[in-house]
Amino acid sequence: MEVPRPHDHQLAAVSAKLDALSQQVGLIVERQRKTEELFAEMTPILKLAMGVASERLGDLERRGYFEFATEMLKVADRVVTGFGPSDVRQLGDAIVGILETVRAMTQPEVLAVAGEASAVLQNADQAEPMGILGMVRATRDDDVQKGMAVMMELMRHVGRAAQLVSDKRAASPLEQKRSKLATITGAKKKKVLGVERPAPAAPAAPRAQAEPKAPAASCGVPQTAPSPVAAVLDGVGFSADGHLADPTQWTAELAVKIAAAQGVGMSDAHWKVVEFVRADFEATKVSPNIRRITQATGVTTKDLYTLFPKAPARTVAKIAGVPKPAGCI
Amino acid sequence: MSNIATSKRKVAIIASHGGLDEAYPSLILANAARQSGIEAFVFFTFWGLDIITESKVDHLHVNLAGNASSGMPTMIAGLPGMESLAAKMMRKQMEELELPSVREMLQILDESGAELYACELAMKMFKRSKEDLLPQVKDVITAGDFYDLADGAQIIFT
Repeated sequence: MEVPRPHDHQLAAVSAKLDALSQQVGLIVERQRKTEELFAEMTPILKLAMGVASERLGDLERRGYFEFATEMLKVADRVVTGFGPSDVRQLGDAIVGILETVRAMTQPEVLAVAGEASAVLQNADQAEPMGILGMVRATRDDDVQKGMAVMMELMRHVGRAAQLVSDKRAASPLEQKRSKLATITGAKKKKVLGVERPAPAAPAAPRAQAEPKAPAASCGVPQTAPSPVAAVLDGVGFSADGHLADPTQWTAELAVKIAAAQGVGMSDAHWKVVEFVRADFEATKVSPNIRRITQATGVTTKDLYTLFPKAPARTVAKIAGVPKPAGCI
Repeated sequence: MSNIATSKRKVAIIASHGGLDEAYPSLILANAARQSGIEAFVFFTFWGLDIITESKVDHLHVNLAGNASSGMPTMIAGLPGMESLAAKMMRKQMEELELPSVREMLQILDESGAELYACELAMKMFKRSKEDLLPQVKDVITAGDFYDLADGAQIIFT
């Protein structure tokens, strides 16, 4: 068999296209002819119609339709400039809801309630001034009670709807992005109703980590000057309440002596507490109370009462050569 | 040289109110007594039971209504939510002063050797059992038992 040459193949394709084209031309000619026929038939009818229409338009003109339409166009123009296409799309989504709301609000019963209420507003100038007592008295009125119930129910629904709106807003991707951005940049919150919010506390200065935190106000005032000396024993001055008058005179030997006088035999556990109390007083100039000691050394309150029976904080303060702790915790 | 009470000094504190502001005075008095080497007993009765009740101890309120020192007119202080607001503010202030919470105060008291008792009659009145109370409560006793325990003590009613 002879293989068809490429040339023949292309020829066949061109002739097929030509066939299709001539068919289409035939169709167009046919349509044109029909249109012409239509025009020929329509011309008298249109002439008649135009006559009627212009008569009608003149009539409309007289009745002010066009003036109305021009004004309406101005309104429409204002609406268009005020709203974007997305607003219109949202309106389309909401139209069913809007219509339902309007229908519900225009029910005769609802209108009756609104009419009654507006009648009161019209006569607002005749209302007597009322204080809190008057309000309380008014709540005994059955109608007022009913009205309050309606108002409460209304408020409940409004609140629920508002919650829904805020939930929806929070869930929207834009808002999520915004809040994320706010957390990253630490943007300050919008002021609400002019309420001034305190600025967030500045980050703690690095030196605060090195120094022990000063105890709170409940723990007494710092004492820097030595207490007045009330008694002198072995050449060391003591204050009236039995504490070392000058904390700098303290020595370990003296501590053992004072402890013995208090009925305390010093062990490692005792020394741990005494050393903390001295170090803490050194840093804060305040004798630590029991709570501060237990929190800093890890010794429990119970153990502290065992180590230093009777008033532990005061006994430790005596042994450590610092003033009597002032706090009551 | 020592002025720490070496005598057998005792205090018996009766806590009959359950407000946050009413709980602290009795607890602080008891704690201060222990810190000064004085034996302390605390007897919780009537509303004071709330202080040692597991489900209530962290939610004690502050009653502003009828309190002349609160600086707030009773009309307003009685509005719903005012007392919990006041309690919240008081808790915040106590936190700033590093005051321990009521629950923590009771733990400290227990560890320092103060003895806490619940009133039997009040327990019946409020339909509470020993299981409803904090573990630091030593026993449920009658007022007569309390007098026996606190023999020779100075009695403080709060």
